[in-house]
Amino acid sequence: MKAKTPLWIGSAVSALGALPAVAADHDIAVTIYSNDTALIQDHRSIDVTGGRQRLEFQNVSARIRPETVALAADGITIVEQNFDFDLLTPAKMMEKAVGQEVTLVRTVPGNGAETREKALVLATNEGVVLKIGERIEILRDDGMPVRVIFDKLPENLRARPTLSVTVNSPKGGSRPATLTYLTPGLGWKADYVALYNEADSKLDVQGWVTLTNSTGTTYDDAKTMLVAASPGEHAAATNTWAPRRPQRSEVVQPGTESGSRERVGDFYLYPIAERTTIANLQTKQVSFLDVHGVPAEHAYEFRNPWLGTAEKPQNAQSVYRFTTSAKAGLGDQLPAGTLRFYMHDKRGEPQFIGESQIDHTPMGSLLSLSTGDAFDVKVQPTVVKRTALGDFNWRTEMRYSLTNALPKPITVALLQDGLWGDSTITAESQKSKRRNADSAEWTVQIPANGKAEVTATITTRF
Amino acid sequence: MRPVLRPWLVMLGSLPLAAAARDVIVPRAGDLSVTVYRAPDRSSPQMTLDQLGGFALVTETRTVEIPEGESRIRFEGVADGIEAESALITGLPGVVIEKNRDAEVLTPERLIEATLGKSIMLVRTNPNTGKVKRLFAKIRSDGGKHVLFETPEGIEALSCSGLPETISIITHPDLSSTPTLSARVKSPIATTAKVTLSYLARGFDWTANYTATVAADQKSMDLGAWVTLANSNGTGFPSAQTQIVAGRINHQTDEVQPFDMGPPVVAQCWPTGTTSDVAPQQIMVTAQRRFETLEVATPVAAAMPLAARAMLVQLEQLGDLKLYRVPERTTLNSRQIKQVRLLDRQNIPVQLFYGADLPANSAVAPEAANRTLRTRNDTAHHLGVPLPSGEVASFMKVKDTTVLLDEVHLRDTRVDEDIELDVGTSPDVQVKAVREKTNAYTRPPFLRGIVRYPTALLDEVNRVEIHNATPTEIKVELRLQLPDGTQLVAADATIETRDGRPVFSLPVPANRTATVRYQTEHVARRK
Repeated sequence: MKAKTPLWIGSAVSALGALPAVAADHDIAVTIYSNDTALIQDHRSIDVTGGRQRLEFQNVSARIRPETVALAADGITIVEQNFDFDLLTPAKMMEKAVGQEVTLVRTVPGNGAETREKALVLATNEGVVLKIGERIEILRDDGMPVRVIFDKLPENLRARPTLSVTVNSPKGGSRPATLTYLTPGLGWKADYVALYNEADSKLDVQGWVTLTNSTGTTYDDAKTMLVAASPGEHAAATNTWAPRRPQRSEVVQPGTESGSRERVGDFYLYPIAERTTIANLQTKQVSFLDVHGVPAEHAYEFRNPWLGTAEKPQNAQSVYRFTTSAKAGLGDQLPAGTLRFYMHDKRGEPQFIGESQIDHTPMGSLLSLSTGDAFDVKVQPTVVKRTALGDFNWRTEMRYSLTNALPKPITVALLQDGLWGDSTITAESQKSKRRNADSAEWTVQIPANGKAEVTATITTRF
Repeated sequence: MRPVLRPWLVMLGSLPLAAAARDVIVPRAGDLSVTVYRAPDRSSPQMTLDQLGGFALVTETRTVEIPEGESRIRFEGVADGIEAESALITGLPGVVIEKNRDAEVLTPERLIEATLGKSIMLVRTNPNTGKVKRLFAKIRSDGGKHVLFETPEGIEALSCSGLPETISIITHPDLSSTPTLSARVKSPIATTAKVTLSYLARGFDWTANYTATVAADQKSMDLGAWVTLANSNGTGFPSAQTQIVAGRINHQTDEVQPFDMGPPVVAQCWPTGTTSDVAPQQIMVTAQRRFETLEVATPVAAAMPLAARAMLVQLEQLGDLKLYRVPERTTLNSRQIKQVRLLDRQNIPVQLFYGADLPANSAVAPEAANRTLRTRNDTAHHLGVPLPSGEVASFMKVKDTTVLLDEVHLRDTRVDEDIELDVGTSPDVQVKAVREKTNAYTRPPFLRGIVRYPTALLDEVNRVEIHNATPTEIKVELRLQLPDGTQLVAADATIETRDGRPVFSLPVPANRTATVRYQTEHVARRK
């Protein structure tokens, strides 16, 4: 839409596809970041008269951050930028008509005949006071139908919040201009579909970038670029996902391989090959990854958060491990998003079996993603005895009972957390591995439809 | 005064939605499959139809005529609660350029928004003669959600004159009547494709509802269960293969936001303060929204013991989850609650005991003991099937009538796991705990092998009394809750350990009182 078009045409927010093809001189480039922020570069041709002039920009994001607006064009200087929120409403119309004449059309209830007269609007405070000839009346005080007709629209009132820029130009003429601004409401994340084949322990992974637009505006035929970065956010909170359980790290080993994708600084870019229309309230998905036959390992994990007893057996977590390495892996870096796991049921139909969030993950990383509880694998940690060895010194005897109701033998990674400070395992039924100072890990084999038990004596100081 | 202007928008004809060139609209037909997952963290045992926290995987097959070149395939009639980012389309020939889900649907508000600046027809009806006058006008503003229009005479506000007036729209926007999923594809040839569409959708949930019927001798029970399925979507799933998945899985569920209605348009006029106290007129124009709160109470008939044999769902293993398949195709309608039979087991041997959970070293006023049935989920006990968590209503047959004993929660129970089912409390069995003011057991006489730490302090002696007013001998289990660092050092009954906690298990003869004394010690910290 051109700035010169009359207000009431230009302000139409287009519905999906309702607009005719965008004129060749109008070109939008959208760069979307992972934290619900987008940089819009709007190239259009503007008509400039010589001297001072107000330019109005329609079809900019309704959630534009006015402080980030920059207009660049040859031979103009910017006097000021305004973002007007004064909206055109009936009440505002009447307010602006104070001291002006309006036309009243009365309809006689008996026969429907119309009478017209001119009236001067005196005041609009809590009711409209009119002066008709020499009489003073209150509009529709009697509840009778009266139409009020205004001659013209007041200036400054618009149907939508409007961005306007006052510019000064030594000479007139049409020229290309670029309007740049930031807006919230446009965001993207990755969505992965992982189909796990139980028979040969292979994963097929498809990656989609999902773009959402809640800016209130449609961007037609936009050149779109996605950046795996969250500018202005130093904390890595790229989504508002709140974990239900104690956070477990999905990345076991961060990767050290470089991908072949385009980069800006240290950020990966995901350009969308074709121009696309991003409609308001639309969710758009474009494929960026399709890998078949990635070797994956299915495992079980149970984490006891502190040296405590569980009254009832707790479910172990079902975990899938795979690598993003170029060799025997996905062979790509993964932008942050949700990985959904599917598996074929007995009839060969894919069924959803759980999902996991991942952060921006470099290539070559080893991922260990949990999909949820394993129904048939349970662990019951029990404090058998806790003895005080001194003022701040305790000895805890732990017993972990593990059960497997599956018809196949399994391996469970049993983790005991909360071993802070000067904690030592003085006795244990099988050798443990200290993943870090705070947690010990036992790798426990459970036979098919069987049980296993691990005992450990741990001295702690707290 | 007319509070609401009724037929505010007159649509011309049935409004066939304009499809852009190369649009292929695919109506709903073909094979449907729905797999329902329960809400991972539902706290209330009951489901509320407007707040279903579960979800479903919907898979449907549609036949599509795909033209050569680039086209947009529109799948209409997907569930309102579709999670667009989970949508998968397979079977399309050529290249899928992108997938879209448009949440802007046709509502009066969106219609006005889309008509802003365009020509409309203004319809005025003479209230006396009924004569209708139509004239062309243009909507100049819906700013602030009020409508202003322009006629050749000048600018006017809609519905401010007190005359019946409305607008009718000549052009119509390209908005769908239902949320629509579409794919832009590029096909080398015109072809007919069988396309499978699958997506996760919110607004579903299920629970298991068990009924335990305890025999009169309290030595066995019958267990039956229903799966209660709920769909709060505006979309129904006719003749669908239906599956249910048990087990807790990770899935991020947000609030259900079916689709966007747009903000309401309020035809609010200029101030109409009057010299009288007539209330000012305000007209609200909004799409009809439904606000219903339906508690999904378990139907009484379902909770009652079942007489007729019902068709049972079939169990299969899905990775680490349990999948239950409804054996026949079924129709899951919009905003519907449905029940299918999960299991029916008879003559499950049970053991009745009375239990109390006592915090160590505190006095407890006499309270009724819990009645609990214990059994094991294995074939010897006529069970041996995974039991998904749910509510259990227990009943007992007394002569000709059935009495409700209790309603409790059962957690996910795998095969070979013990089941303890609370069946009410017994006023005839009272448990009382007293702190005796004597240090009767200064040297532990009963427990050997306990090394007392020099700084350990003995606690007072505690006495627990069990009063049995029933005419039979009963089995009582007292569980003690010990704080960390506190040890049981003496007791005049055998100490068992169950789930890491000390338990006194003792018989109490009919109409008698039994007493247990115990003593603990704790570590004193130096000041």
